Amino acid sequence: MRTISKKLNKEEIEAFGKEVDSLREEVMSKVGKEDADHIRFIYKTYRYTEVLGRGLIHFSFEPISFVAGTLLLSISKIINNMELGHNVLHGQYDWMNDPKFNSRTFEWDIVCNAHQWKFYHNYMHHTYTNVLNKDHDYGYNFTRLTEAQKWKPVHLTQPFTNMFLAMNFQWGIGAHGYRVEYLETPKKLRKKKTLKDYKAVFFKKIEVQMLKDYILFPALAGLNFPKVILGNLLANLIRNLWTYAVIFCGHFTENAESFTTEEIAGETKAQWYLRQLKGSSNLDGSNLFYTMTGHLSHQIEHHMFPDMPAKRYREVAPRLKEICAKYGQHYNTGSFVKQFGSVWKRIIAYSFPDHIANKVMGKRKKYLEPSIVLSQPSFQVSLPTEEKSVSLT
Amino acid sequence: MKTFPFIYNQPKEFLNFLQPKEWADFFLGELNPRFSVTTTKAKVIDIREETADAKTFVLKPNWLWKGFLSGQHVPVTVEIAGRRVTRFYSLSSHPNDKYLQITVKRQKGGLVSNFLNQNTKKGDILEIGEASGEFVLSKELPKELLFLAGGSGITPIHSILRDLQALNYSGKATLLYFVRSVDDIILKSSIDLIEKNNQWLTVHYILSDVPKEGYTSGFLTKEILDQYVPNLKSTSVYVCGPSPMQTKALSLLEGLPVKSELFLLPGQNLTNVKKEGTVDVYLSLSHKTIQVKGERSILDELEEQGIYPQSGCRMGICHTCVCKKQAGAVTDLSNGEKSQLGEENIQICVSRAESNLELEL
Repeated sequence: MRTISKKLNKEEIEAFGKEVDSLREEVMSKVGKEDADHIRFIYKTYRYTEVLGRGLIHFSFEPISFVAGTLLLSISKIINNMELGHNVLHGQYDWMNDPKFNSRTFEWDIVCNAHQWKFYHNYMHHTYTNVLNKDHDYGYNFTRLTEAQKWKPVHLTQPFTNMFLAMNFQWGIGAHGYRVEYLETPKKLRKKKTLKDYKAVFFKKIEVQMLKDYILFPALAGLNFPKVILGNLLANLIRNLWTYAVIFCGHFTENAESFTTEEIAGETKAQWYLRQLKGSSNLDGSNLFYTMTGHLSHQIEHHMFPDMPAKRYREVAPRLKEICAKYGQHYNTGSFVKQFGSVWKRIIAYSFPDHIANKVMGKRKKYLEPSIVLSQPSFQVSLPTEEKSVSLT
Repeated sequence: MKTFPFIYNQPKEFLNFLQPKEWADFFLGELNPRFSVTTTKAKVIDIREETADAKTFVLKPNWLWKGFLSGQHVPVTVEIAGRRVTRFYSLSSHPNDKYLQITVKRQKGGLVSNFLNQNTKKGDILEIGEASGEFVLSKELPKELLFLAGGSGITPIHSILRDLQALNYSGKATLLYFVRSVDDIILKSSIDLIEKNNQWLTVHYILSDVPKEGYTSGFLTKEILDQYVPNLKSTSVYVCGPSPMQTKALSLLEGLPVKSELFLLPGQNLTNVKKEGTVDVYLSLSHKTIQVKGERSILDELEEQGIYPQSGCRMGICHTCVCKKQAGAVTDLSNGEKSQLGEENIQICVSRAESNLELEL
C-alpha cells in the first residue's frame, strides 16, 4: 500500500509504541467520576429526547411539532447508538460495575444484535483493522476501495449500492453481523451452529425493533397511527444517514491505508498501534459534533484505545498528534465535508478499473518530513538517503 | 411460529426488550433518588458517632425493602470515584424499628468502611439489597445464651439482644464484648440500657489493648471464659468478631452449639500463594486471552489488567460475579477446595486460577 507517512525502522516503531502506551496509561489513570457523570448525562439525554420526541409525534396535529418530534427521536436514536451504545459495548464503562453501562448487558435501539456486533466489530474489525479479507467492515464486502481489491464489472454500481446502504445502514450492519460470525467460525465448529442459527439471532432483533417502531407505538396513537409510522421511518432514516456518514469517514478517506494478511503476520503491539493510525481518519468539529458522532470523530484515538471512555479522546488527540509529528507519521484529519467528500471520491474512483481509478485518485503526496526535529540520534541514523530517493520517484 | 404475532420472540421477551423497568426506574429516580422498582435504596436520615472510628447510619428504605431478622446483614452499595462497590454490613437495629440502622467501623485499608465514615452525609442515598444470613436466633429460644463479640462484631449481636428483649426472653444471657479500649465500645449506651432493663442479661466489657480501672483486660482465653461463664454445658453460643478471635473461640467451645459470623475484608481470605509463571485465561465472550499469575482471585487479576467483570461483595456472598467456567481448574479461596476440570459456575471473586482457564466472560 502506498503510504504518505515516513517509513520507520524497528526501533523507531517500538519507541513510537512506547510513547503511545505511556500516553494511554497516563489518561487511563485519570478515569473516574467525571467519566461516570458524563455517561449518565448521555443516558439521561437519550431517555428525555426519546420521551419528548415520541410524545410530540403522538400528539402533533400540525407539522411543526411533528418535525420537532421526529428530529428529537432521531437525536435520541443517534445518541443511543453512538455515544451510549457504541462506547458502552466497547466496555469503556465496564469499570463502573453498573449493569446499565456494562458491555455484557447492554442492548441498543438498532436492528443489529449487540452480541453479534461485538464479535465482528470489537473483535474482528478492531483487531484486523483495514486488513483485506479479515476486516469485514472494509467496504462491507461489496465496496471496492483500493487497487488491492480486484475490479469486477459489478463494482460500477457501487456508488448506487452505497447510497442504498446509507439509507438502510442499520440493516447493513445487522445483516453483516450474522454472516461474519458464520464465516469466522472455524469449519469444524460450524456443525454445532448453522447459518440459520446466526440468522435467527438477527431476526429476533429485527422482530422486536419492527414491532416497537411500527406496530406498538403507532397502535398507541390510535387514529394518528400513519403519522407515528412516518415519524419513526424518518427518524430511523436520519439516524442511518448520519451513522453511515460518520462511520465511512473513519476508515475510507483518501489517505486511509489498507493492509494484507502477510503484512500483519507476527505484528507487535507497537506495529498494531501504527496500523490503527494509518488505517483510521478523524473529523474536526465542535464538542457537540464529537458527542453526536459518539467520538468516532476521533477514530484514530478510538482505534488505539477502544476501551478508553470516549470523551477522553479529546484530551488524547493533540498529544497523539504531537507524537505522530515527531515520528513523521501522517495524522489523517479534516473537516466533515472534506473527509466525507474524499470517501465518495474513493467510492466513485474505485468503481472503475485501475487505470481510471488511479487517474482520479492521483499520485499521493509522499511522506511528510517530521515537523519536529528528533532528539534521539538513532532516528537521524535511520533516515537512509536511498529511501528518500525511492519515495521521490 | 410460537405465539401469534410473535414468530421469533415470546411476548415476554418482547416486553423485556422494551425495558419497562428501566424506564420506570429512570423516571422515578428523576422524581426522587430513593424511588425505584428494581433496587432497594435507602436514604441516610441520621448519622450518629459511636466512637472515634465508627458511625451509625439510620436509613429509610424504599417500598422494596422486605424486612429482616435480627442478626442478618445487607449488601450496601456506594459509588466511589464513579465505581459501584458493594460490602455487607449487619443491621444493628431491631426489625420492629421504624428505620434501619447499620454501624460501620473503619477498617484499616477498607474502601467502603472508610468512605462511609468520611464522605457519607445526611440525605445521601445508599443502595442496599435484601437482608440475608444465618446468624439469627433459632425458633425455640435456648435457656442459656453466650454472646462473644469482638470490635464491630457487636452489631448483629446488638440486634439480637434487642430481639430477645422484644420476645420477653426468660433465660439467661451473657455478653462478653472484647474491644481495644473503653473508647472503642460501639453502641455502649444502648447495650447498657438493655442490661439495665432486663434481668436476664449480663454484660462484660473486656479491654484487649488499653487497660482501665474497673474493666477486665485481656484476650479471649479459657480463664476468661471460666471466670464469666463457668457452666458452659448447655449454652448456645453466638460469635462475631475478627478472625483470630473466632478461631480461638471455636477451639475453646468445641462440642457446643456455636453460630459464628465472620466478615472478611476483600482479599483477606487469601493464603499467601506464590507461583512461578502464568496461566492463560481465555474469555470466550470478549475473545481475549490474558495471562494471570494465579496468586490471587481471578477477579483481582482481571481488574489489574483493565478488565472489569461485574462484581459485588468480593467475598463470595452476593454471587454477582458468578460466571461459567468452560474448562480448567480453580481453587475456592473460601475453603481451599480445588474444583473439577469441566464446566461449572464459579464465583471469580473467591476463585484462584490453577490451570489454563476458559471463562464465559
